[in-house]
Amino acid sequence: MKHGKIILAALAAGMAFATVNVAKADLLDDIMKAKKIRIATDLAIPPSGMMDSAMKPTGSDVETAQLLAKDWGLQLEFIQTTGATRIPNVQTGKADIIISTLSVTPDRAKVIDFSKPYAALASDVGCLKSLNIKSWDDLKDKKIGVSRGTTQDTMLSKMTDKHLNLSRYEDDATMVTAAVSGQADCIGTSATIIAQIGKTNPARVFEPKVPITTFDLAVGMKKGEPRLMEKVNAWVEANIKNGKLNAIYKKFHGADLPPNMRGS
Amino acid sequence: MGGDLNINHLEFLGHGALWTLGLSAMALIGGGLFGFVLALARIAPARALRWASGGYIQLIQGTPLLVILFLGYFGLAAIGFDLSPLVAAGASLTIYNAAYFGEIWRGCIQSVPKPQWEAAEGLGLSRTQRMFKVILPQAIRIATPPTVGFTVQIIKNTSLASVIGFVELARAGQIINNSLFKPFLIYAIIALIYFAMCYPISRLSRRLERRMALGRAQPIPA
Repeated sequence: MKHGKIILAALAAGMAFATVNVAKADLLDDIMKAKKIRIATDLAIPPSGMMDSAMKPTGSDVETAQLLAKDWGLQLEFIQTTGATRIPNVQTGKADIIISTLSVTPDRAKVIDFSKPYAALASDVGCLKSLNIKSWDDLKDKKIGVSRGTTQDTMLSKMTDKHLNLSRYEDDATMVTAAVSGQADCIGTSATIIAQIGKTNPARVFEPKVPITTFDLAVGMKKGEPRLMEKVNAWVEANIKNGKLNAIYKKFHGADLPPNMRGS
Repeated sequence: MGGDLNINHLEFLGHGALWTLGLSAMALIGGGLFGFVLALARIAPARALRWASGGYIQLIQGTPLLVILFLGYFGLAAIGFDLSPLVAAGASLTIYNAAYFGEIWRGCIQSVPKPQWEAAEGLGLSRTQRMFKVILPQAIRIATPPTVGFTVQIIKNTSLASVIGFVELARAGQIINNSLFKPFLIYAIIALIYFAMCYPISRLSRRLERRMALGRAQPIPA
């Protein structure tokens, strides 16, 4: 009985503490006071987050984060994250914002807030160049490799009427290896990764065959931080307009941002 | 993307390997101490202690380590206890491994033949004296192989700490692999490093077993 009471009291204290936190905290003030912004970025998803040959972080998301920290005059700390822990990291205050190929989806918008999109990610089903595939019908019952838990996985999994045969791999590198080694003749992923296969193995050149969709990528943050959101949005808008975000995107993805994004 | 493996990559893997060793040490020491208490509680005369420790072991052994790590780091933060990754990992690994050590050692203690207890009691030793002077020295001999076997598991289990942001050996390899796209080479290197950590422990166990077998009944010749 006594133990139960102690646990209850501890829980109650914890809740109270959490509530106080929410009431007083303004994340933007905290960031500015600390002179440091903690950005959650997955450094194992090329070409958005990866390591260069000197093992320094690089990639389009890494440079976007660096640009933001520089513009705001803040020190930047990368919070190492995996795809699945991006959202918990900001929900629990382990990181301030997410810049990590985070696609805007309605499900995610229920638990975190999204800024205006800073980039877009076109994804396709890409297959061996020699295969004659033009539509979803041609893909019927063909094995398609995807990285587990990505938006491509989710989108393709929902297309039950298309009778797709999905094969889920641990991460992009494993999926690419499957394509390179002949385990999969089709993969659902970004155009950048599709192009990577032919570079690794010139005998198996892949090309985009059927477009899946284009996802908006946005900065994610904890719900209920209007001042931080406003500042991030202003920053995104300014850097879309001056072309810096497009330059970063082009450097790593080899293509410009979609015209409708650049125009806005 | 692409490129060749260079010295920087190996250094990065080396850092990861150090984290793997550090996490293993925390898991081993924390789990070992708490596990020992659990083992004693499992065979305590007080029924409440036996039930509580038994319940704990059932609960934890039935929960994946990944879930414990996730709850320890993100779950506690959600209700206001902000633990650093190091503390969260240390606590989670201790909680998890103690449940296994507790049960392994409970079995080892109980497999010391009953007459040993009775003889010690016949000599007028107290329960504590019986335990520490007669039973535990014999139990340690029985416990060596399963303890070492489980230690090797602990080392490999630390790879799960990547979920809370640790870049230990396996995650370091994953990051490099996703920059170079050379999985066979990189995972082969990682496998070698893990092997280099685990093999000496298995060897040590064999030596300890042999040493402790001295003075015990000689193997029966065929």
